[in-house]
Amino acid sequence: MNKSVIYIFRRFLFYCLAGFMAITLNFLIPRLMPGDPASIMFAQFKGKLKPEALDALKETFGFSDGPLLTQYFEYIKHLFQGDFGISISYFPQPVLEVISSGLYWTLFLAGTSLIISFVLGSIVGIYLAWNRDQKLDSFLIPTLSFLGAFPYFWIAMLLLYYFGFILDWFPLRHAYSQHVTPGFNFSFIASVFSHYILPAFTLIFVSLGGWMLSMRNNMISILGTEYINYAKAIGYNRKILMFKFAARNALLPSITGFGMALGFILSGALLTEIIFSYPGQGYLLLQAVRAQDFPLLQGIFLTITFSVLLSNLIVDIVLLLLDPRIRK
Amino acid sequence: MKSIIKFLLSMMNNFKAKIGIYILLSFLLVSILAPFLVGSPTDYVGIPLQAPSMDFWFGTNGQGQDVFAQTLYGAQKTLFIAFLSGLLVVLVGAMLGGVAGYFGNRLDDIISLLINVFLLLPGLPLMVILAAWLPPGPLTIIIVLVFTGWAWHARVLRSQVMVYRNQDFVLASRVCGESNFRIIMVEILPRMLPLIASSFIGATIYGIGAQVGLEFLGLGDISQVTWGTNLYWATNDLALLTGSWWTYVPTGVSIALVSLSLTLINFGIDELANPRLISERHLSKRLDGDFDRNNATPVRKIR
Amino acid sequence: MTILSVENLSVEYVAENSSTEALRNISISVESNEILGIVGESGSGKSTLIKSIMRILSAPGLITSGEVLFNSNDILEMTDEEILEIRWKEISLVKQKALNSLNPVSKIGHQIALPYRFHMGMNKSESEKKARHLLDLVSIDQIYFDSYPHELSGGMRQRVIIAMAMALEPKLIIMDEPTTALDVITEHEIIDSIRSLQKELNFSIIFITHDLNLLLQFADRVCVLYDGEVVDYGTTDVIKSGGNHAYTKTLLDAIPRIDFSAKPDLHNKNNLDKILSLDSIHVKYQLGSWMIPEILHAVNDVSLDLYSSHITSIIGESGSGKSTIAKVITGLENSDQGKLTQYNDGHEYEVVHDIEFRKNVQMIFQDPFSALNPIHSVLHHFERPLLRFGISSEKDIKSKACELLEMVELNPAEDFLSKFPHEMSGGECQRVCIARALCSNPKLIIADEPTSMLDVSIRSDILNLFIKLKENFNLSILLITHDIASASICSDEIVVLKEGRVVESGATLDIIQNPTHDYTKNLLKSSRDDWFTKHDKER
Repeated sequence: MNKSVIYIFRRFLFYCLAGFMAITLNFLIPRLMPGDPASIMFAQFKGKLKPEALDALKETFGFSDGPLLTQYFEYIKHLFQGDFGISISYFPQPVLEVISSGLYWTLFLAGTSLIISFVLGSIVGIYLAWNRDQKLDSFLIPTLSFLGAFPYFWIAMLLLYYFGFILDWFPLRHAYSQHVTPGFNFSFIASVFSHYILPAFTLIFVSLGGWMLSMRNNMISILGTEYINYAKAIGYNRKILMFKFAARNALLPSITGFGMALGFILSGALLTEIIFSYPGQGYLLLQAVRAQDFPLLQGIFLTITFSVLLSNLIVDIVLLLLDPRIRK
Repeated sequence: MKSIIKFLLSMMNNFKAKIGIYILLSFLLVSILAPFLVGSPTDYVGIPLQAPSMDFWFGTNGQGQDVFAQTLYGAQKTLFIAFLSGLLVVLVGAMLGGVAGYFGNRLDDIISLLINVFLLLPGLPLMVILAAWLPPGPLTIIIVLVFTGWAWHARVLRSQVMVYRNQDFVLASRVCGESNFRIIMVEILPRMLPLIASSFIGATIYGIGAQVGLEFLGLGDISQVTWGTNLYWATNDLALLTGSWWTYVPTGVSIALVSLSLTLINFGIDELANPRLISERHLSKRLDGDFDRNNATPVRKIR
Repeated sequence: MTILSVENLSVEYVAENSSTEALRNISISVESNEILGIVGESGSGKSTLIKSIMRILSAPGLITSGEVLFNSNDILEMTDEEILEIRWKEISLVKQKALNSLNPVSKIGHQIALPYRFHMGMNKSESEKKARHLLDLVSIDQIYFDSYPHELSGGMRQRVIIAMAMALEPKLIIMDEPTTALDVITEHEIIDSIRSLQKELNFSIIFITHDLNLLLQFADRVCVLYDGEVVDYGTTDVIKSGGNHAYTKTLLDAIPRIDFSAKPDLHNKNNLDKILSLDSIHVKYQLGSWMIPEILHAVNDVSLDLYSSHITSIIGESGSGKSTIAKVITGLENSDQGKLTQYNDGHEYEVVHDIEFRKNVQMIFQDPFSALNPIHSVLHHFERPLLRFGISSEKDIKSKACELLEMVELNPAEDFLSKFPHEMSGGECQRVCIARALCSNPKLIIADEPTSMLDVSIRSDILNLFIKLKENFNLSILLITHDIASASICSDEIVVLKEGRVVESGATLDIIQNPTHDYTKNLLKSSRDDWFTKHDKER
């Protein structure tokens, strides 16, 4: 069997395991808390649902009579059927429906921001490591660290205030204006774009420093390796050394970090969305917390987790193509 | 013990670390002395949403409270929780990572799997579902921070323990009949001091950011004065839409400054542990900055 | 004709407020078609010298005086662009431990071809043709053209590096300990191919090594470095007869040599007590994934008996499994099959790696700096075993430690107690390790390559120390080494190991004078001073 296929299969199994871990956490956490989890969870449904409907809902989350293991399998069964329960704050919409409307916006925002900041950050990081101007280095590194130390949503607040409120260059909320009709028309796309700029800029701004620094550090450690010294002895010029040897090797640990960075940037995206009332998962998250909408909360957790797992699998495949050593 | 003190002193020689330490100490000092420096942060002291003035250096927030007092008092709880969670994260990480790295085999397989899974699960959503179910308060936040933050440091510490475990000095100790416990505690961990210190700082930085994020969502104890709850109230009171920037800017800048100071200290530790960077710095100083590591060996004839 | 002339070269290593002088007024020269050998021990400055000549010395190195004339141009005065011009086309480099010199993410063929494309502007197919030709020159199969570095063995990677050095047909090739990491048979073969290539392509070589003996067999002139200075410099004949400096003589005398004409010793094994025996030990490693496993037999059916007052040597190259045997005996690794038996006062029982066993069986490792914990003092290293084995009480530790240090000739003992590893030399650290092993008055000491990382001049001292310890304490010593000469000096018995199997064993003199297995014969041939001349005659 092809070694690469085996490797991807193993990674896939691992992600399945992680997914089950997430599901199990979802299952266990309510039950580990003091008090009756079922009552707490469904407290808000009183008066809104008929008793039979309430029972059916309880069953979805595995709150039936019977041993813990049976409850667990009940829950999993429902999940695989696409039944994530009913949302309290968006009653009577099913959780999955509520989430799916927002999931695309979150992934769009987070995904594109991640790619842009990764590409930009890595390029600048390579340049930084190569042109080791001491003064530039001592200035840039603390500055970048400082910029990356601000919470995502705080930068969002600042940008919203200055560019949206004071200068009125960009809209203050939502993903697109109420006056345009969704579809593949120019005004819609333009509207989406203008609403996208500030949130995306927030995410890119804060995470850029991190990518620059990590790429720079990777490059610096590579520049100390034997094969770089050897390549220098062979007399290759700067350009070849930088790209063929150093960057190529520095890219690998960077891309490995990519998968994890997705988790981070998603977290940042969630909070940023709140500031801009961007209709993604973050906004939903806030509603869910405020309204104690547990079904929705758990649903959001699962969908975000699954998205991250899937993206990681894709990154693994890309990494496989770039690093021959993994195939061993 | 002697080595720890020597280590701390050598950090003061590093420019970046020195600045970081000064900033951090200032914040710590200010947070401890807050009751003596400002009035109450929770009382209604003035007209809400007033811009900064001579009476109120940072103005008032949407509930008529003194923002300056809030910022200073907020430092107390935020920093305390951050450092405490940082410490716990490193303890858990060192224990699990150390055991996994040293003993290997099945135990390592299981712990590594656990580490990898936890690294993968996205932080914020996980924190949210945990915090939503737990009663609001500092204990909840600490639990949540440790639960989501231990994996990264466990992995880092584990790798290093694995490297040392196969080196001759450990093998020699084993041949001399030393117990595993003593080998880990006396021979291996003391050699990892820079790494452990670096992890502690990293975990603390994480502690600040994650804590603020949670409280911003309203999952902290909103009756307490912390940097995170300050921001929560600022958004709640529509600071954004009324342009009351002073209700959130000071807090944000404080958060960034403290995180920055910790990062600088971390850079200092890094440079201490990386001899090549130190060599390059010495040479660069001697050549008055005219040094590029990618060029040929420099020549300076003195005769 | 002189192609390289180094005059009054000095190099410093810059520290915070001071500098250390690495090289002082070095003057050497290289003629065309000549092999110049540079020999020196660790810290003598040989690597610094050649890196300075090529100006690839990294921070904190700084060149502070001299001229390096190559074809009448001073390399030290050149700009970076000019230097790039001569690198590889005129002067190329073969580094030691080439294992990591190749770019891990690039194919071998591509890397060999790259200098042709870059320096000579050839296109892809032309450069690949040249690259393939080079592979033939160093006898590497063409299949490996599309392989990655990690798929080749250490010896093969070294040959790739040598091939690359010759690619652009430079006038001078500098080789920095190119064969040190290889086993002695491969080492001779590679040097042989280098010699014939040199005659064919007409280039000069600067060959650096710590092995003066080897150098004298094929170099034309030899330069001896000590502590950053040239102490001796002349033709091989002159150096062979002792040179012009006392240090040269010391180096010549210190090299362990096999005495092929020694007389047999009346050493009867039957009067000795058996201490430990190995019966049919097998150790297997599983490589590859759980879906496609590959089994590596590290140790394959090895049986061995160890006696008191007796030094047994296991000889083998790296990868032969000798270290694994040591680890199995001490319990650091488990065997998959086979038995370990220990003998005590007439009783025999299976080995259990408990404290009692550890008191009787101790070990010394290859790298003395790695075997001591750099954050602890010498005293600490004695404290632990002394307490653990119950040899001394808390207050007696210091005096017992001093006693042990004196046994290994470290004087004054008190001074050494508070020293840290980096404050001592390699030889001193190794003696501390030996003293530590003697803590519990063991019956058996296993020494895993105890001298290979030490300077040549002190190797014999350590080996003689072993002989002394054997006689004074009736110790049994199991010496593991790749150097048959070292083994022959102090061992009573030799076991030859190849790929995990014992191919031959017997009394030292029998093995040396009447070897039966081909592998043993090859090993002995490679240790003779006349290997190259004999080989030339055979051709």
